[in-house]
Formats: sequence, structure tokens, C-alpha cells
Amino acid sequence: MTECRRLIVPLCWFSLLLAATLGMGQLEGLFRVIEPGSRQVIYERADFLSLLGRHLSVVGAAAVLAILIGVGAAIAVTRPRGRDFLPLVSQLASMGQTFPPVAVLALAVPVLGFGTLPIIVALLLYGLLPIVRNTLVGILGIDPSVREAARGMGMSSGQILRQVELPLAAPVILAGIRTSVTINIATAAIGATVGASNLGDPIISGIVNGNTAYVIQGALLIGLLALSVDSLFSRLPSPIVR
Amino acid sequence: MPFDRPRYNVVLLSLSLVGLLVWLALDTVSVAPNRIVPGTSHGLAESLGWGGVLVSALPLLALAALARRPTPKSLRIALGLVVVQLATLPLWLSLAAHRLVDPGAVGARLGIGAGVWLLLFLLLMLLVELRSRLAISRLAGAALLVMPLAVLGWCLTQWLAPLALWQEYLGRRDQFLGAIFEHLALVGVAVGVSLVLGVAAALAMRRWQAAQRIGFGVLNFLQTIPSIALFGLLLAPLAWLSAHVEWLAALGVSGIGWAPALLALVGYSLLPMVRNTFVALEAVDPGVIDAARGMGMSRGQVFRQVRLPLALPVILEGVRITTVQAIGLTAVAALIGAGGLGTFIFQGLGQAAMDLVLLGALPILVLALVADALLGALTDTLRPGGAE
Amino acid sequence: MIDLIHVTKRFGDAVAVDDISLSVARGELCVLVGTSGCGKSTTLRMINRLIEHSEGEIHIDGQQIRDFREEHLRRRMGYAIQSTGLFPHWTVARNIGLVPRLLKWPAAKVRARVEELMALLGLSMAEFANKYPHQLSGGQAQRVGVARALAADPEILLMDEPFGALDPLTRESLQEELRELQSRLQKTIVFVTHDMDEALRLADHLVVMHQGRIKQQGRPLELLREPADDFVESLLGGEDRGLKEAALLPVSQRMLPLGPRLLARERIVQQASLREALSLMLWRHAERLTVVDDDDLPVGELSLRRLVGVRSDD
Repeated sequence: MTECRRLIVPLCWFSLLLAATLGMGQLEGLFRVIEPGSRQVIYERADFLSLLGRHLSVVGAAAVLAILIGVGAAIAVTRPRGRDFLPLVSQLASMGQTFPPVAVLALAVPVLGFGTLPIIVALLLYGLLPIVRNTLVGILGIDPSVREAARGMGMSSGQILRQVELPLAAPVILAGIRTSVTINIATAAIGATVGASNLGDPIISGIVNGNTAYVIQGALLIGLLALSVDSLFSRLPSPIVR
Repeated sequence: MPFDRPRYNVVLLSLSLVGLLVWLALDTVSVAPNRIVPGTSHGLAESLGWGGVLVSALPLLALAALARRPTPKSLRIALGLVVVQLATLPLWLSLAAHRLVDPGAVGARLGIGAGVWLLLFLLLMLLVELRSRLAISRLAGAALLVMPLAVLGWCLTQWLAPLALWQEYLGRRDQFLGAIFEHLALVGVAVGVSLVLGVAAALAMRRWQAAQRIGFGVLNFLQTIPSIALFGLLLAPLAWLSAHVEWLAALGVSGIGWAPALLALVGYSLLPMVRNTFVALEAVDPGVIDAARGMGMSRGQVFRQVRLPLALPVILEGVRITTVQAIGLTAVAALIGAGGLGTFIFQGLGQAAMDLVLLGALPILVLALVADALLGALTDTLRPGGAE
Repeated sequence: MIDLIHVTKRFGDAVAVDDISLSVARGELCVLVGTSGCGKSTTLRMINRLIEHSEGEIHIDGQQIRDFREEHLRRRMGYAIQSTGLFPHWTVARNIGLVPRLLKWPAAKVRARVEELMALLGLSMAEFANKYPHQLSGGQAQRVGVARALAADPEILLMDEPFGALDPLTRESLQEELRELQSRLQKTIVFVTHDMDEALRLADHLVVMHQGRIKQQGRPLELLREPADDFVESLLGGEDRGLKEAALLPVSQRMLPLGPRLLARERIVQQASLREALSLMLWRHAERLTVVDDDDLPVGELSLRRLVGVRSDD
């Protein structure tokens, strides 16, 4: 019951997003007013639903990989064996976050070429940073006496990781994933300039062709997508801490 | 004993071995007869000759050897080797240019290969690692880069004329300086305006609970909307305004250009600024405030002499975050014609001219890192008792 | 039960524990006491292998601790620490049931055991079972910590300054309860503290450590009466030693049978310490006290001369 109530707000955003995606064509009259000079006022090079689908799948793929690699790496460098790499990894993760996402995206293109792959790689690389950083903060922030007690009670290191460290770090890790996904939804849209077809497309082509209606359509959908995903994250159950 | 840690420095060892691997295995340079044609790639042996291969690999092998006994002395030698290696990269590129680019071919271009980029990246990681192991200060760390940069500058003027990136720069020298200026101006104005507004908003939030809830709600909402969407959404209303309000149009406000960019930048900058200022002012130890009151300081004195100085480092932290973020967002603003270094990125992407993309992206990266380092250093000096 | 034989621990070049030998008998409460950095905690943590010793041998029940798997060894011993180390994301009940679950006890048995322990430590099931550690007071959290340490009914209990962070009143009542528990459960306990009063109050076997070495060990009274050197003497309280000793001896040891004289007006129970008796005399300006039993019936009397004079055991 409470589970359902918690999901009402994200559900509202998602249905608004879906309605806007499917019903954009119905608003032609409105866009005519905004953009009286153009022959065409609804972006039609691809339908909005497939643009949304591609946007989501690129961000989703990058996020899944970033979570696996990022959390994995942070766990690895907090184990005794990987501890030597901890200072380097944590410095890299915080320094890396000063890199503007656009610059990372732009740098991926010369190496990987145009298309969807460089975007996924760029999103993955950039998305890794907040996840690694937050996982490190989460795990290292655990009261040392808790870990000491866990060891003293005879928990194995695997049990400590699964039953103590990860659950305690979970809220911080989730916050990292949220930051990562939020940034990546935005960066993926800029990816339209390097040949990915997604919700950034209408914006870019609107800017290029001077068609404000296109720009608004793309911007509206990306904004709604970002808000939907963000509200979903803000309602995820978080375990009791402290 | 299984509980003794290995004596050798694993990080140094693995970074130098991976560095050796990418240096030997990946392309060093590519050469193209002109800007349009894609270049042909050349490996290390082709680029430097076997003698060059040997000499250039030596420092990496020495690093790996030093990793076996990581005494402070050998780590210092390793640091020296890394700096030397960084400084020699431009020399190796010069050698490659000399061997592979026909001096008679006008417009021939030398591209930097994956091997060089990755080795550069690994060397910088080594620098970070050794810097933290040897506890070298920010300033000394920055000083280490002077020599490699000087060598790079010298090589560019003497031997590296065919370097594609350099050619792109030479072709747009004035535009480039203008773009940097525009970029910094946009960032500066946005951060300045948001600092003033942000502090005012934070003070208001401290006074009125309702303002706090609503304020953070609105700012969080703004921050969630992707930049490109916000730029886009501002386009229509501003275009309408400039068409209908004459004095705004006279000021240069329009749907595209600096106006929507600046508005959006200020919008994004407000959240980190307000949040940090608010948290900074709230987080001052209540015991200290209590003591100040107890000594008979007035409200104003408490604020100016106690609360504000104690909060200042955290507020500056907000300025740092905001500035770094604004440098990146301004790049996106080039899409709506706001100018700045992003222009090169999007022009380059449009023309599939990768070196032009680099000409935009690299300086943005450097600007972000420098801004981060400078403001970080300023915060440290303002913290009572120095850096933590 | 626990034997340390010429045990040494080095961290790099620093020697934390230097060639100590110590035997703790079954059912004994052994207290390691000393200033901070004297190696007492290190010694404790070597017993459950949170720290591996560098030299010497440590035996549990005659078997080398290195013959066990670390986790299995630790599950056989209870472990309670000053900061409790309760898992903040688990309820009190789940925290207490940790080790039984690690030992794969069936769920019903774990539940029954948790109830039993909470009752034992005076934590009402209804009130506390579903609370989280941050909702507990310091004393309650420490009780849960001790319950958790006792959960799998280990023969050995290791306690590292468990009461160090509590206020004096709570600390004293928990010390009292620990003594009480110990008399019922007869565990073998190694207890680390820097508080000499606590050490004297709890110890069957007192071990004074300094700079990684054992300065002196024995029964608390032995140490009080014959400190091996100035360090032990000053640690034991120097000029306060008389009072400390008096605190260890019950009134019943010095009282005389009821004489022909009138009963003194001030009364004291026979289990009270001589120190309490002295304090009462000072406070009431009384030279004599009537000693009573639990039912307030006179069983003897104690005079000031008797209190400060001839020892009962000679």
C-alpha cells in the first residue's frame, strides 16, 4: 500500500512523458502559433517514441555498465588486496568529475568515431566517476567499529561486504547512481551532435534550421524524461542509517 | 607470512607496465597529406626507428624496476623519471614528424596516435600517485609540469609545425583567443551573478522557513533539467521578448546568443551556490555562536566576525563547484550561438575535423582543471589553520 | 582455557607486545589494565586473531589458535567493544541473533535465544526488539552489545573497554550486572580497561601492563598489598590504595560477633564494602556500626578500630 503511494509521483511524471511523446502531433495548432513561418512544425524525421526508446536504451546501457564497473572497482580498491590502488582511484574519481561531460563526449569521438558506440563509452566513462566516488565514500564512511565488530563476531569478508558494507553504503551509492544517470540523460542529448539519434535530435535540427517548434518539442521531452527518472530515484526505499 | 603486505609498489609497477604495453603496441602517430583525407597510422618502430623504440622504453622499464623497492628516495627518482618522460613526449613526436612527414609536402599533417594519448594519461596518473605518496603540495605538483610544458612549447615552434592540432590553432589564432575570452566572460558573469543572488537567497532562506523549502524545490527542479533542454526552452520566450520589447532587442537579447546562455547558466549555478552557502552558515558550531553571544557580541558582530569567516571556506567550495560546472555548461551553450570554446567542438563535429574538436575540448578541460586547482588552493589558504 | 606463551607482536619495527605469558583459567574473569598504548587491546585482539601475533603461541583449550579458521575461532568467542559496533541497519533483535545465524542455527532457535538473552540483560522484548541502534541510549546499546557477544553461548568472552564511554552511574550498574552474570554463567572472560577502579571491582585475575610487557599479575588484593614496583603502585592509586583495598573487602570479613553492649544506631548490611562502612562512619560521626543481614537482623558489629586495625586473615 505504502509502496504504491510512494510511486505515485514518478508514475505521474512518466505518464506525462508518455502522453507528450505520443500526443505531440495533436499539439500542431499550438506549435503553429509559435512558429508561424515554417512549413512543418512537428518534428517528423523519426517518431518521438523511438527517439525516447533510443535515448533510454543508450543511457540505460551506459548506466548498467557504469554501475557494474564502478561499484566493482570501488569494492576492489577497498579490499586488502586492492588497497594500494585506493589513493589513485579516489583522486582520479574526484579529479575526473571536474572534466566537463561535453569535453569527454567530444574527446571520445576522435578515438571511437561517430555514432552510438562513442556515446555509450563516453557516458560510461563519465558516469563511472560519481558512482566510484560515492561507493568509496559510502564504504569508507562506515564506522570502523562496525567492521571491527563484524570481524570479531566471525563474519567472513564476503559476509561483511554483503551484509554490512553494501547495505550501509547503499544510500550513498544510490545517490551516486542518481547523479550519474541525471548527467548522462543530459549528455546523451548532446550526443545528437555526434550522430546519435535520440531526443537531442529535434533540438539540434531545430537550432540548425531555425525551427523553434522542434527545439521546444525535444526540450520538453528531455526535461520530462529527466524529471521522471529523478523522481523515481528520489522515491527509492532507503534503508535506515545512523 | 600471508599478512605482510607486498614490499613492491603495485600501482607503480602496473601503471608503468601498462604504459610500456600501450606505447609499444598502439599507433604512435598518423600522417595525412591534407586536412580532408584520413591519415595513415604508424606504429612506434616506424615513427621513431628501433633506436628510438629502445631509448623511449627505457624510462618505463626503469620505473617498473623502481617499483620493486619503494623507498622515499626511489619514489623521488621515479617522479623525476615520470617528469622526464612527459617532457620527452613532444621530442618523440618531433622525431616522428621529422622521419615521416615530407618537408616539401605543404599542408601535410601529423596526428597524435592512441599510444601517445594513453601513455600521456598513464603518466599523469603516475604523477598523481607519486605526488600523493610523497605528499607533495599542490604548488610543487603544478611546478613539476613546467618543464614538460616548456619543452612542448619549444618543440611546437621549432619542429612540430605539421602537428594537426597546432595547424588548427594557427589557422584560428584570433578566433581562439576570442573564444577563450568569451568563454571566461560567460563563466565569470554567471558565477558572479549567481554568487550575489545565491548568498542573498541563502540569507533569505535562513530567515524564512518557507523560502527554504520552496527555494530548494525550485533549484533542484532546475538542476535536474538537462542543459540542452533548458537552453532550448528559453529560446522561444526570449525570442518573443526581443521581438516585442525594443530596449531588450537593442541590448542584444534574443532567442539565441548570450542571453539564454547566461540565464540558464545562472539558473544552474544557483543550486550549488545556495546549497553551499546555506549549509556553510548553518553548520557553524552552535557552541561557538553561543560563546560569541555570551561574550556580548551583537547579532551583526556575531555574523560578520564569527559566522561568516567560519563559513567562508565552504562558501568558496560552492564557488569552485559552480565555476567548474559553468565551464562545462558554457561549452554546450555554443550550440545556441553563445560563442566560447564549445564553438570549435561543434564546428569540428559538424565538419568531422577531429583536431578542431580537440582544439575546443582540450582547453575546456584545462580551464576546468586550473579553475578547480586555483579555487581549491584559495579555499585551503582561507581555512583557519591551513589545509586540512 | 586461554594460554599465551611468550607472545610478541611487532608492527614494523615497533614492538607493541613484548614476550608476554599469561594463563586464564576456565570461569575466570581476567582484567588487563594499563595506560593507553600499553598493548592491552593488542593482546586481547590477538586472542581472536583480529591481530596476528608475531612470535610465541596462543592456545585455546590446549589447541593452537592458528589451527582454526579465523572465522570459526571468532564465532566461538564473544566480542564486545567500547563503541558497541552494533550494525546500524539492523534491529536490536537481528543484531543479537548475528552469531547464531552465522552458525546456521534454525530460525526458531535463534528467536528463542534472542528472547532469552534480552531477558537476561533486562531489555524488554516488546520495547526493544524492533528498535534500531541509534534509538538506544549508551547503556542500552552496550547491553545489546554484550547480549550479542553472548548469543551463541561462547565459552570465552572478550571485552575491550565495553563500559568506557558510559556515564559513571550506568557504568557501575553494568559492572554490577556483569559480575552477577558471571557468577551465573561462569564464562572465561578477558576484559580490557584503563580504569583501575573498574579493574579492581571486576577482576578475579588482574594483569597490569606497561609498554607491551606484563608488570605484575595476580589476585587484585595481592597486587594492592604487594605492588611489584612504583609504576604498579602509582597505577593502583598510590595514597588511595587503602580505600581501594577497603572497597574490595566486605564488612562481614571484619565484623565481630554481637557483644554485650547496646547496638549502635547506624546499621550497614554485611555485603557492603569496608569502604562504604568507613564512609558511613565519617558521615555519621559514628565509631561503631551494627552489621545486619538481608532481613535487617543484627548479625555483628564493626568498630572503627577493628575496621582500620587488625586484618581479618591474620
